[in-house]
Amino acid sequence: MMNISEVQKLVDDDGIIFLSYGGYLSQALISAMTEALEKEAEDHGIHMGTANNMFTIFIELSQNIMNYSKSLDISDPSRVPQGLIVVSKDANYDYHIHSQNIVSLADKEKMEPKLQEIQSLDKDGIKKRYRELRKSGQNTHGKGGGIGFYEIAKKCDSIYYNFKQINEDRFYFHIKTTIKTTIKKTKEK
Amino acid sequence: MQNLKVEATKYTPKIHLDTSGFITIVGKSYPENTFEFYTPMMQWLEDYFDGHSAKRTIVNMEIIYFNSSSSKLFFDFFDLLEENFDDNIIDINWIYDEENESAEEAGEDFIEDFESLNIKLVTK
Repeated sequence: MMNISEVQKLVDDDGIIFLSYGGYLSQALISAMTEALEKEAEDHGIHMGTANNMFTIFIELSQNIMNYSKSLDISDPSRVPQGLIVVSKDANYDYHIHSQNIVSLADKEKMEPKLQEIQSLDKDGIKKRYRELRKSGQNTHGKGGGIGFYEIAKKCDSIYYNFKQINEDRFYFHIKTTIKTTIKKTKEK
Repeated sequence: MQNLKVEATKYTPKIHLDTSGFITIVGKSYPENTFEFYTPMMQWLEDYFDGHSAKRTIVNMEIIYFNSSSSKLFFDFFDLLEENFDDNIIDINWIYDEENESAEEAGEDFIEDFESLNIKLVTK
């Protein structure tokens, strides 16, 4: 279902796959992979502000999948509590962070309006909306306060998503974010 | 009232809350369950401002990067400080590395959202 060819397809246009994981996501794994990303950023002299944006997006996407997995009914074999997360970079040293998991129709209908709104806004609009939502959700302590996608959109240069239907009630949800970097120096050639 | 000390982990910050008026939060913040993680801190602050606060409270906050639920939590944290602002002297330093524009912008947003609080941006 989430096999290597899927990974290959995801990154065909992007160049080097730097990090790829498919399976059950735990906090310990997310933390270890974030450390690997920190090492990558340090080794390649990626500007700190940009690197931190990259870490935040990676964490946000991974924790989304982790939290979503926890909400699934494990007795239902059609709900695969797994996700795919891939970090790649292209020849321009732009980084792409992909994530993919399986969601239900009901969840798709919850996520899609937010994502559509994000696509319709410019950067300032996204920042404004993020702050509005953060403020209004003051007493509703949900898992992510409902601002996760806005957090991601605020911190990347472009965002792409799509829902690919598997059956009546199941969709692959794929999101791809691009972070442009300015490399200060490259250690190796 | 006792001090509260929580040491940093790979994904949670160091939290030192001192009844002498020093509140320090330093590190990364992306806990598995953000609200659970910060509950002791928020409860300590409620107690502190309920008749135990020092003459002057100094908040030093240096968050390198954080997830969206932490962002929400920090909003609630500043909200709590704002509720107690009239009866207390509270100085807040939002500390960041000058190359970390991401943290700088987060600080600027909190300043705008909490105009009555005295949040200062401080570069390292």
